[in-house]
Amino acid sequence: MAFTRQNVWELGGDWADPILWYARGVKAMQARPLNDPTSWRFFGAIHGFDQNLWSSLGLLTEGDQPPSDGDMKTYWMQCQHGSWYFLPWHRGYLLALEAVVRDAITQLGGPGATWALPYWNYLRPNQNQLPPAFASPDWPNGTGDNPLYVVQRYGVDGSGNVVIPTDQIEQNALGDAKFVGPGQGGSQGFGGVRTGFAHSGTSHGGVEMQPHDMVHVLVGGGDDQNPGLMSVPDLAGNDPIFYLHHANIDRLWEVWNKSRPSHTDPTEARWVKGPASTGDQAFAMPMPGGTSWTYTPGDTISLATLGYNYDDVSAPAVQPQIAARRQRLGMAPAEPSGRAAAMAEHVEKLGGSRGALSLTGSGASASVHLDHAVRSRVTSSLQGMAGGPPEPDRIFLNLENVRGANDATVFSVYINVPEGDDPAMHPELKAGSVGLFGLSKASAMDGPHAGNGLNFTIEITHVVDTLHLRGALNVDQLHVRLVPLKPVPDRTPVSIGHISIFRQSG
Amino acid sequence: MERAAHRPDAWLVPFGTVILIAWVMLAVGGSVFPLPAICSAESEAALPLSVSFDLARISDSFAQLALSWALMVVAMMLPLALLPLRHVRERSFARRRARSMLLFVLGFVAVWMMVGVALQMTAWLLRRGVPPLAGVGLAVALALVWQVSPAKQWCLNRCHRRPPLAAFGLAADLDALRFGVKNGAACAGACWALMLPMLLIGPGQLVAMVVVALFGFAESLENPARLAWRWRGGGKALRILAAWSPMIRPFSMRYLPLLTKSRI
Repeated sequence: MAFTRQNVWELGGDWADPILWYARGVKAMQARPLNDPTSWRFFGAIHGFDQNLWSSLGLLTEGDQPPSDGDMKTYWMQCQHGSWYFLPWHRGYLLALEAVVRDAITQLGGPGATWALPYWNYLRPNQNQLPPAFASPDWPNGTGDNPLYVVQRYGVDGSGNVVIPTDQIEQNALGDAKFVGPGQGGSQGFGGVRTGFAHSGTSHGGVEMQPHDMVHVLVGGGDDQNPGLMSVPDLAGNDPIFYLHHANIDRLWEVWNKSRPSHTDPTEARWVKGPASTGDQAFAMPMPGGTSWTYTPGDTISLATLGYNYDDVSAPAVQPQIAARRQRLGMAPAEPSGRAAAMAEHVEKLGGSRGALSLTGSGASASVHLDHAVRSRVTSSLQGMAGGPPEPDRIFLNLENVRGANDATVFSVYINVPEGDDPAMHPELKAGSVGLFGLSKASAMDGPHAGNGLNFTIEITHVVDTLHLRGALNVDQLHVRLVPLKPVPDRTPVSIGHISIFRQSG
Repeated sequence: MERAAHRPDAWLVPFGTVILIAWVMLAVGGSVFPLPAICSAESEAALPLSVSFDLARISDSFAQLALSWALMVVAMMLPLALLPLRHVRERSFARRRARSMLLFVLGFVAVWMMVGVALQMTAWLLRRGVPPLAGVGLAVALALVWQVSPAKQWCLNRCHRRPPLAAFGLAADLDALRFGVKNGAACAGACWALMLPMLLIGPGQLVAMVVVALFGFAESLENPARLAWRWRGGGKALRILAAWSPMIRPFSMRYLPLLTKSRI
């Protein structure tokens, strides 16, 4: 029998059975000691662990017996971010958590035979608010130890009233034609770029950046001294809403797969067989009954084989990027010959800023100077000149070496907003919004990023098209404006080492 | 760490060719470009320090030393600059890529040449001060202590730094050169102790150099880690070998992760 994951807002009530039993299962897991691989905190540490952070928030106490060295090395600190393994690793993580919760529900005499993890689709109209069962400290009977409630879930305004601002999230990655992007300043693809085992990689893939990262920090909120659990990768797995958020990300993978026949997962052996095939760590999860599951990305590609599905994998009305562009630029529809698909992707730098940029207060701006010769090639491709590339270039803005202390910082990026204008009045010039999930860890000099910070690649093709159609692209520089959702305190500035623009052809 | 697309880049051909040529020159240059006679243990021991340096200066010994050291650096250490060089290439305009990469290499090799002076002098003093075998033993012991030290990890972590690079003009040139110097310094900090025994070993020097070069390259593939006293290096290389070799896979899958992963 296949388990069906359902929309948490459409279960028929705030405390409908699937949520009530999820809470009971979480409660049972939370009662287990840290060194039990099926305990709640053990699962949190599988995603990420930081001794100081955990201690400061009371997640780790003096009385805790640590797991065996072997268990820690096999299971802890595995989450894959900034990697083409992001989606398959998290799918396995969800399946393991779901199996352990289901087992706990069965032990409690509940519907373990049918229970499945719900998902939270914040992108649906009127479903952007935190599901009520997670927002109340009380159980439905009024007692006050609801395990789904988390104090360190601050939201955007810090009040704990978590509502996702809909203008900050999007699912445009669903329109990306390829799972794997070339990276190197160009597309990160729908699912990420090629890496080895990447416990916190540097450059996040399309669906990882939006809506994944953004929802994490919009839910968690907080700051460097009082971080929300969801805002920091090393804490996030301790918040029960994490798993409903990731169920939605997992669902989006299935939506992408189903939306077009050409939307296929990688077939390269390095992806299918996973990082262990090239000498890296294997993906491994504890399962009920003291068993363990070692899996590869190839094991995760079929929901039918894995025995579950979603109640809704219909694709939103998003036109494929290529078709939308050709229409926008007044070009004829693409030839069905697939000439573009057969061409190798070529990524080339188009422009760069001079100096670093510090984001504090209500915003910051910088000019990105363009290389004339490369800009001419972009313009030619946009005009669809005979003998030119079969598809117009895609353009990407890169925020390089982004460093700082507060993961919950959120800002929007605009291009060429006229001086004195409110950027909010120019949605056509908005490149996108960025949530800095993983920033503090990436900024630590002796952390896994060596202090390089994070790189964000934002597609600005639509903005460049707009400028081109307005005749405003024949310029020496583009002006980039960063507008934070909340003022950035001087104490926790966000530094951006370099802003660059790349073209991607083919 | 982000990897480039699976197609090998064209620039790897000249890059690999230069390294290969250095290895061939080292291999065919007799017993690995033997140290000049004036610097050999037998002749040095009989001369006061100042005299031997004077004699060396008037001969072509320093030039020969510099050449042999430069070949060792290019053969053994330049492969470690593969990923930083890729960073320079990706972050440069297409028309500037070769120039920026050359500037990076210039900075990288320049640092190693300066470190070479210090290492050659240390090796010379060891040859003068202690019997040959004891000198090798001391150098190897020093390398082992450095290998397990937090200081080595500090340097290894800095090998993974990928700084922002200016796009235009002199600033771009200086950034590429500066990155080469900093990466070279981090690389030298991580590997100097591995290179010192190479200057003292007689027979088998070439084999030792190959082993150290492979070890250093495998070590450069490891992720940054917290600073601590512990054994490091070689784990990834062993795991790669294990992944490719069915014969040792069962053993490796069980034990190697435990041996080579750093935790809390």
